[in-house]
Formats: sequence, C-alpha cells, structure tokens
Amino acid sequence: MSRSYLFIPGNTPSMIQNLDVFDSDAIIIDFEDSVTVFEKDSARILINNFLKKYSYNEVEIYVRINSADSPYFGDDVSSLHNLDITGFVLPKASVEGIRELCKLSDKAIIPIIESPLALLRVEDIAKEKNVTALLLGAEDYTKELGIKRTLEATEIFYARSIIAITANAYGLDAIDTPYTNKDNEEGLLIDATNAKNLGFTSKSLIHPNQVEIINQVFAPSLEEITEARRIIKKSEGSSKGAFSLDGKMIDLPIIEKAKKVLEKAKKYNL
Amino acid sequence: MKTSAGSLESSDCLITISDSNKLEITIESVVFDQFGDQIQAVIEETLKEHNITKLFVQCFDKGALDYTIKSRLETAIKRRGENLE
Repeated sequence: MSRSYLFIPGNTPSMIQNLDVFDSDAIIIDFEDSVTVFEKDSARILINNFLKKYSYNEVEIYVRINSADSPYFGDDVSSLHNLDITGFVLPKASVEGIRELCKLSDKAIIPIIESPLALLRVEDIAKEKNVTALLLGAEDYTKELGIKRTLEATEIFYARSIIAITANAYGLDAIDTPYTNKDNEEGLLIDATNAKNLGFTSKSLIHPNQVEIINQVFAPSLEEITEARRIIKKSEGSSKGAFSLDGKMIDLPIIEKAKKVLEKAKKYNL
Repeated sequence: MKTSAGSLESSDCLITISDSNKLEITIESVVFDQFGDQIQAVIEETLKEHNITKLFVQCFDKGALDYTIKSRLETAIKRRGENLE
C-alpha cells in the first residue's frame, strides 16, 4: 500500500546509502537499465554488502532485477538471497518469467507490464503466485508500439485502464509509470492525478524531487477521510446492509472503500 | 594482472589491485586524516576474509563508507579471479 516507488541506480553509493531520506514509501534499487553490462557484478556485490549492514523499517525495499530471459537474472536473484528486501520488480513481465522467479524465491513480485504482449496477458500475470502489484512501464511499451510518449498520455490511456482494472480486480496495487520530465511539477501533478482517477494506487518515479507531489496525490484527501469516517460511523450504527447518507445510497462496496481510505490515512498519519 | 572496480564519484572509491609478492596498500582519500586508518582496516579485513596475503591494492577514496570500500575491493578480486580462469 505504498504511494511512491522511487527508482535508484544499483551501483551508486551516494543514492543507496541515503535511500531513507527521500520520503518515498518504497525504493526500487535498479540492477537493470541504470547499470551497464560491465557493472552488473559491481552492483550486486555493493547491494549485498549494503543490505547486510543496514536495515530499514520505514521504507519498503524492492530490487529491479534483470529480466528472466537475460543472462544476468540468476546471478541477480542469488545475490539477494537471505537479504531483507520486500520483493523483486521483474521487467519484461511474462507468466513464464514470474514462474522462473518463483522457483528461486518466495518474496513478493511486481511485474512490469511493458510490452503489448504482456498487456494482452495481464490477467494471467496478475493471477500468478507472489504477484502483489502491477507496474506499467510506458517507455518500453510505447517503444514497442512505435509511438511517441506525450505529456497528455492519451497513447497509454488503454494500457493504464486495463492495468488499473486488473490490479483492482485481483486485490493488487496498481503502480503507474514514471513521469519522465523531472522539472515539470505541474505536468507531474496532472499526470499523477489522471492515473489515480483511473484506479492506480501509486506511482513510480525516477527523481527524488517528485516524491512530495506523488505522495500528496495518492494519499487520501481530508475530504475523503472525513467522508470515510462518517460512512464507517453510520455503518456501525446501522443494522441494514445498505443505508442512506446525505441522500446517497451506501452499501458494502462503499463501506469497504471507506475502510481502505481510513487504513491509508492511518498508515500515513493523516 | 590488474583489475579495478568502483569510481571517483562522491561517496565511492576506485580500487585497483595487481600482482605483488607481498601485501602493499596505498590509500589516497579526501578524508585521509580522519579515516585513513579505518579505510586501511577495512581493506585488510576484506583481504583476510578472502585469504589473500600477497597483493598490491590502490584505493582512491572519495568519501566511501566501509561497505562501499569492501564491495569495490571484493569486485576487483572477483574480476581478477574471472580473468585468471
């Protein structure tokens, strides 16, 4: 139930040893794109020694390993054996890749949906063991489609919708793709709000200065919290399955949603 | 045989190791006065863990913490092993 998932390069000590100061709810240490082929070994050893020495209770730590069909996959996974991480972020998601990872570890898996084929199979992916969230990787997805990313993000509307619906249907977190223009705060706010309105529960990010806006967008607002409290209070005093509040019909799904809002509010001290 | 690991970026160190008939360690660090002894100790301890008694180790430190120094040295050692195979 994190709001923000910050990617940090896996071979950069200055970022790694400060991972708890960025205020991101979750950190994704990256072994994939931000680590060159010649430095994969170096990143693995660095993170292994780092996680043996330091532990963090306030932040979830994931590692984006290389894809299951890459030559680095096995070494990536074994280098994290017995370390205190929340789970793996698996790029180029496929059912087969997830099953390969499940053979090696029981930790949580966040598959990145970043190809048209993965999008077509997203429900199968969501049903796989250990999958706790779905993450949209829009850069690779649009690259495979041969289309350009735009600030309006109309080109990923369908992908976002399917991923958010599927994740919610299977009780998983839905993590939106990063907003790559790190200096456009207004654009980030619009982009994150659009994702939230489609059903995303959180957003990944590539720069620490994006954390504050993303945490704000994906936290329940004061208005939502107040309404949720009223719904729960009234439901506790009602013996009926459905009742009316301010002229609106309140039934079980709305009560469950209100409970989730209050859970989030409690988690983030709101 | 010479291998290296790490970088000269802030909070990192560049470690280069090469053949020697004894244990030699040279350290250049931006914080040598405060932490030179500690860096030396981390290097010696890491070499001991790997049962290495003869090696020339050069460390160019840019404020790396112990885990980074240990990691860069272990990477250089691993690369040396791979190159020897």
